[in-house]
Amino acid sequence: MIILEYSNRIIEDTLNARFNPENKPKPIEMSFVDFDGVSYHLSTLEGQDTKLLLSIRWKCWPELVSYGANDVLQREYGPWITSPESGYDFSLQFDLENLGADPEELIKKVGLLKRNAMAAPYERAFDAQAMAEKEENWDPSSSQLMAVHYRDGEAVYIQHQQDRVTVIFSTLFKEETDRIFAKVFFHEFAEVRKKSIFSHCPQVLYSNREPPLEIRYVPGLLDSESQGYVTFVLFPRNYIPGAVREETISRIQIYRDYLHYHLKCSKAYMHSRMRARVSEFLKVLNRAKPEDNSGEKKLASGRTFRRS
Amino acid sequence: MSRLAPVVIDNGTGFTKMGFAGNNDPSFIQPTVIATNPTTSNQSSNLAAKRGAEDLDFYIGDEAVANSKTYALNYPIRHGQIDNWDHMERYWEQSIFKYLRCEPEDHSFLLTEPPLNPPENRENTAEIMFESFNVQGLYIAVQAVLALAASWTSSKVSEQTLTGTVIDSGDGVTHVIPVAEGYVIGSSIKSVPIAGRDLTSFVQNLLRERGENMIPAEDSMTVAQRIKEQYSYVCPDIVKEFQKYEQEGDRYFKTYEGVHSVTGQPYTVDVGFERFLAPEIFFNPEIASSDYLTPLPEVVDTVVQTSPIDVRRGLYKNIVLSGGSTMFENFGKRLQRDIKRIADTRLRRSEVLSGGRMQSTPMEVNVISHKKQRYAVWFGGSLLASTGEFHSYCHTKAEYDEVGPSIARHNRVFGTVG
Repeated sequence: MIILEYSNRIIEDTLNARFNPENKPKPIEMSFVDFDGVSYHLSTLEGQDTKLLLSIRWKCWPELVSYGANDVLQREYGPWITSPESGYDFSLQFDLENLGADPEELIKKVGLLKRNAMAAPYERAFDAQAMAEKEENWDPSSSQLMAVHYRDGEAVYIQHQQDRVTVIFSTLFKEETDRIFAKVFFHEFAEVRKKSIFSHCPQVLYSNREPPLEIRYVPGLLDSESQGYVTFVLFPRNYIPGAVREETISRIQIYRDYLHYHLKCSKAYMHSRMRARVSEFLKVLNRAKPEDNSGEKKLASGRTFRRS
Repeated sequence: MSRLAPVVIDNGTGFTKMGFAGNNDPSFIQPTVIATNPTTSNQSSNLAAKRGAEDLDFYIGDEAVANSKTYALNYPIRHGQIDNWDHMERYWEQSIFKYLRCEPEDHSFLLTEPPLNPPENRENTAEIMFESFNVQGLYIAVQAVLALAASWTSSKVSEQTLTGTVIDSGDGVTHVIPVAEGYVIGSSIKSVPIAGRDLTSFVQNLLRERGENMIPAEDSMTVAQRIKEQYSYVCPDIVKEFQKYEQEGDRYFKTYEGVHSVTGQPYTVDVGFERFLAPEIFFNPEIASSDYLTPLPEVVDTVVQTSPIDVRRGLYKNIVLSGGSTMFENFGKRLQRDIKRIADTRLRRSEVLSGGRMQSTPMEVNVISHKKQRYAVWFGGSLLASTGEFHSYCHTKAEYDEVGPSIARHNRVFGTVG
């Protein structure tokens, strides 16, 4: 598994079991999470086992709403949206007796709830860029910098220019080892693009500590050694409306988790190499043990004798 | 960021149960198996020759089983203990990122270990968890203690005590573990080589010997397992049960309907005596094997009798079941009756021997079965991890960095080095 899945497996598995008409509806009450501090709560309404309620909580929700998340969610989940459960930001309700859609497609869609919510600023930036391209005298100052603070100390900044969209991730590493691994990783990332077969890929830039020019004026940027910035420059060919655009949005969203997943995998790989090496060394050491030549030999009965 | 729910992972020999604390059921229950690519995983010698992302080419759990034709299956846990750390590390990798989808840096983790797990294993686990995954906090709990905690949900339990005998019967092996005040009495642990897998193969044999030819050969194992799970129960008296079946067969004989996995043809199988014979091998092992002949109630009695004398009453009073193979109807009742019988006989004998001068209070024997029995260990973990104090019991990353892996030898709840 190189690329992480975009959809939430717990949602998919649970809904699969619930939407199956062979299973009798029964009460359910579970809470679980997704990457980046998303919390979900899945429950049945009190006394009504056929009504399922799925709620999501995310600390950057107000920001997403201000970038038009509600429109995207309305488009995707229109008939199922209900007023948010207390303590949560957004809720969907399903009636098992009357789903109102093909269950399989619905499950797939619901599994992507987090992805779709996060898609809003990207879609807005892509559309804005398309508009800007048509204008002759485009005013750069009209472009809005959209910041989504999706984790403590980490954020993603999205801004469109006349011919491209820039996405900047600020990254923060709690662990020194991780930061070093990441540095190598980013370096490779920026480097590998120079190969000709990857020339269609968006440009990737990495800078440590120093924020890129686009966001330099933003207040509150952390100035520390553990802070880094990854910039993706997307050109219209990277987000042709349709499947390509959807794929780009999904991929770029999962980027941070993808990065951390791979850091962890690299460490696991290092560990297995270390273990292999240690067992090799142990073998060598065992071979080097001096043979016991004291001359004392043991009989099967436990008595010892000395060979002269 | 507000604290996110701790992650609870119970890695068993057969199955791994994982989910988030505070829930009643684990989110995922899947076989503890990892499927690696045989062409690239020749290990050790050419490990350094890796050029791509071959080390990511693997599946775990149900997907591993589905890919067993082209990949090599490995079972990283043997007899409850982690055997292959390379595989286990990768198993956790995918459990966390693909299944649970959580960032390990944001969560505390509760893992489980079998009783008598060597501390070195615990250190290795802590090393992987803290160094590879940077987990926020880690707590490693003993499975038997968690199973005791899970029994607190039963209405039969009057007080929340950590003293009791745990009968843990999973897929591979059955353990009888005495626990006093949360401490496992290691010297008295007994294991019984009869568990879920043996029951299944016993049912399979019965079906085959009776000549149920309708079952396709490749499905016979699964059919036997289904029959075991759906229809089996424990009877009070095997002779009477046979008579009942003879007299009113219609009421007791069932039919199992299956569909051929390849051709899609439906077929039916008659289910008869195996309904009560399968779980009976716990109580009369001689009907299935000639090697192992001690019935489970007797094993439990021996375990209690070899424990320190001052906890014996507590151990008899609180016998807790855990694991899928204890799920049979009336299993608890039968066990309670048999153990009680053994204990009473002993008391009576000592009265007779003392010439009637010594009168002891009758022994209270309680076998507790509850709804969460199947995933009792996981559920106990979920209960423990959802309490407010859990975070203070965890070893944190900062402490690990300060002390090193040996921190895992210390348990905050019990305050011992063990």
